[in-house]
Amino acid sequence: MTSVVARDFFRGFRAVVPLWLGLIPFSLAYAVSARGAGLSVLDTLLMSALVFAGGSQFSAVGLLAAGASGVEIILTTLLLNTRHLLYGLSLSQRVPLRPAQRLLAAHFLTDEAYGVVLAEPRASFAYVLGVELSVFIPWNLFTLAGSLLGQGLPDPTRLGVDFVFPLAFLALLIPLLRGSVEVGVAVLSGVLALVASRFLTGGAALLLAGVVGSLTGAWCTAGAPAARPTEELEAP
Amino acid sequence: MNVLPIILGMAAVTYAPRLAGLWLRVEVPPFWQRFLRFVPIAAFSALVVPALPGERGEAGVRLFAALLAAVATWRFRKLWLGILVGMAAYWLLR
Repeated sequence: MTSVVARDFFRGFRAVVPLWLGLIPFSLAYAVSARGAGLSVLDTLLMSALVFAGGSQFSAVGLLAAGASGVEIILTTLLLNTRHLLYGLSLSQRVPLRPAQRLLAAHFLTDEAYGVVLAEPRASFAYVLGVELSVFIPWNLFTLAGSLLGQGLPDPTRLGVDFVFPLAFLALLIPLLRGSVEVGVAVLSGVLALVASRFLTGGAALLLAGVVGSLTGAWCTAGAPAARPTEELEAP
Repeated sequence: MNVLPIILGMAAVTYAPRLAGLWLRVEVPPFWQRFLRFVPIAAFSALVVPALPGERGEAGVRLFAALLAAVATWRFRKLWLGILVGMAAYWLLR
């Protein structure tokens, strides 16, 4: 039993390793911008460990540097991170989790972890935790490295490693495009997110596109047979 | 500057939706089951499309690299291979 748990954990952990190429430079960049905005090394680390949401950490640091109030920063964070509600609802339909496991798994839930777990038809709690910690551990280790090394680290967008994230989500999306409704929902949500991102913060645009796209998909499949079994989903 | 209360507030409003979704493991009506089936499709597409062009005037190269990565993923169904093909094409052509 223990070996099954350990095997699942490390299988999940390994599945995220290709994403480290993007995660590591971004955690370094977060740490450098947090230190630049006047956060202490301890506060920089605490934000990565306790909030653990890259986009909202960047926006909080930017807002702090611009002199925003704490209330503004916390409300922006809420707006950016409400999308995790959708991920949790979706995951809880697929992976059986006990209450204590949900309390733990919730803290480490990210876009990346959701995507990778979803691609695994037989995900267990150990697999989920392996995936989640494979984002959490490098994110926090390289927050530490970045806050000690300080300025002088290259900008990740100049290196082009920011491109890892759209590539990863594209690779997770493609196996899901099994019919015309699926393709239609993907096109609608993508265009909607692109347009909305000009007016809204990234997380809010994503939430809007996610909700409208999923509602459209549910309406378009009314009267269709029930959801196909997850076994059809091939892990990318 | 004492930012600890802000960090704790951010942590609370981030943990709440993360937990709420996982916790509400209720009997989901058919419409919402179909809704949840489309969540990953809608969310992944919304994560991909705005981030594809980038902010450094390399939209053409990035779209071409993404196309190659898409073909590789569609053919071989491997996450790491899609990232490898896409990044290799992007770095060679940029």
